[in-house]
Amino acid sequence: MVRVKYVERPELSNKERILFIDFLKGMKVTITNFFRKTITTAYPFEKLTPPKRFRGTHALRVKNGKEPPSFKVLEKFMEIKDGESRCVACYMCQQACPVPELFKIEAVQLPNGKKRVVRFDMNLLNCMYCGLCTEACPVDCIIMTDIYETAAYHRASCVTHMEDMMKRAVDYDTRRYDEPDRIWIDDKERSKLWGQIKWS
Amino acid sequence: MELLGTIVGITIKSLIFIVGMFLAAAYLTLLERKFAGHVQQRPGPLHVGSHGLLQPIADALKVLTKEDLVPDNVDKFLFYLASLLAFVPSIMILAVVPFGEPFEIFGFKIYPYVSDVNVGLLLALAFGSISLYGVIFAGWASNSKYPMLGSLRKAAVLIGYEVALGFAIAGPIMQAGTFSLREIVEAQQGLWFIIPNILGFVVIVFSVLAETGRTPFDVQEAEAELVGGYVTEYSAMKFGLFPLAEWYIATFVLSAITVILFFGGWNPLPLLGWLPIPGFIWFMLKLFAVFMFFLWVHWTVPRYRVDQITELAWKVMLPLALANIFIVAIWIMIFG
Repeated sequence: MVRVKYVERPELSNKERILFIDFLKGMKVTITNFFRKTITTAYPFEKLTPPKRFRGTHALRVKNGKEPPSFKVLEKFMEIKDGESRCVACYMCQQACPVPELFKIEAVQLPNGKKRVVRFDMNLLNCMYCGLCTEACPVDCIIMTDIYETAAYHRASCVTHMEDMMKRAVDYDTRRYDEPDRIWIDDKERSKLWGQIKWS
Repeated sequence: MELLGTIVGITIKSLIFIVGMFLAAAYLTLLERKFAGHVQQRPGPLHVGSHGLLQPIADALKVLTKEDLVPDNVDKFLFYLASLLAFVPSIMILAVVPFGEPFEIFGFKIYPYVSDVNVGLLLALAFGSISLYGVIFAGWASNSKYPMLGSLRKAAVLIGYEVALGFAIAGPIMQAGTFSLREIVEAQQGLWFIIPNILGFVVIVFSVLAETGRTPFDVQEAEAELVGGYVTEYSAMKFGLFPLAEWYIATFVLSAITVILFFGGWNPLPLLGWLPIPGFIWFMLKLFAVFMFFLWVHWTVPRYRVDQITELAWKVMLPLALANIFIVAIWIMIFG
């Protein structure tokens, strides 16, 4: 059964009608806003740092000794040197992805029987930046960085390759790996707008 | 010879008025954008020049150098005519608006108005009404549904407010006993006409907002519903002339007429007559205040529907204007 609730709208009183009270209230709101400080950031010149959980351009973490335990199990079957992408080509990211066509992952079997990832391309034009791939990754390899300026002149340059993603992850981890996971980041631009935040 | 001198003098004066109005309109756009920005807690134009001071020039260059598209199926003659018809009459109102009393420089007597016609107020109203044909023609000539709807809405609004406007200006005319804008100002040296004419002022504010197409009554371009309203098919400077004419020049000139009718024109503020400020400056200060009031209303209130505007015009504003005439008549009977 659909229940319908009728709400009575208050009628204007005669005083409000004659003296335009609600109109004056609205005018008061705009004029108080007019004398307030602006809350904008001059974007191309000042940039706010996104929080660590921000879902920006993807990156592939490299093998650097900070892997989760699951990687130790899978590592035996893989041919991965230090400083290379720790992707194990399990295709979990593609399985989790709502638009799986954007992944192009290829792995080959080497003569010694081990597996090596030779291609990991993502067409970011189809990506909706939902972050399901990062949650699916068993070895904490594919991550999303804080890079949000993804505009390009050609569609081809929106396809990101394994090498770019490795570089991006190294860059991201050197900048922000040890940072506490907070919603707002204390940077110069943000504290200019809202003042310094006191963290407990 | 005297005729030649008059013609040359009036031509020069008109040129000064037109060029000055163009520059003023350009900078009124900046003023409006800054005001709108700060009302919404953003700074408005900021990077072209110091605090966006050169932004109007950049805008003008951009608008003038854009490709001027004329769609295939438009009525070409009316399409070209409409943008001019919106713009020229609204700048022609300047011909009858006095900006101050005559003063002398180097022995020349300077009149800060183009002409002092004895039906100046009627001429101003007539030009203002003609400039609305620009909007209506633009909608018709564009041969497209959204412009058509926009101009039909404008026509519906026009029927409503013009009557109220005509009755509202009757009050000051009755008190001054003349249609000449200069003589109306001179009649206000004691008490401004706002005192008995407060209802007329409310109606005039309504009518100016409706005539210049500012929010609450911007139904003709209602960007959320009608794409761009009557300017949808226009581009480049033909497009630029419409907002320039309606939002800036018409608002400016009609604010000037509001100041002349109700706020004593170039008479100084009460109790401040001893200040060594010329009448022209007083006039500009009042004009600026009234203009900013219209901007303030524009960036505050949401839009009415067309039927609500017509209802407001016929059921509220027209009786108010008539009541105003009644009050003023009694005022004249009592105080002379």
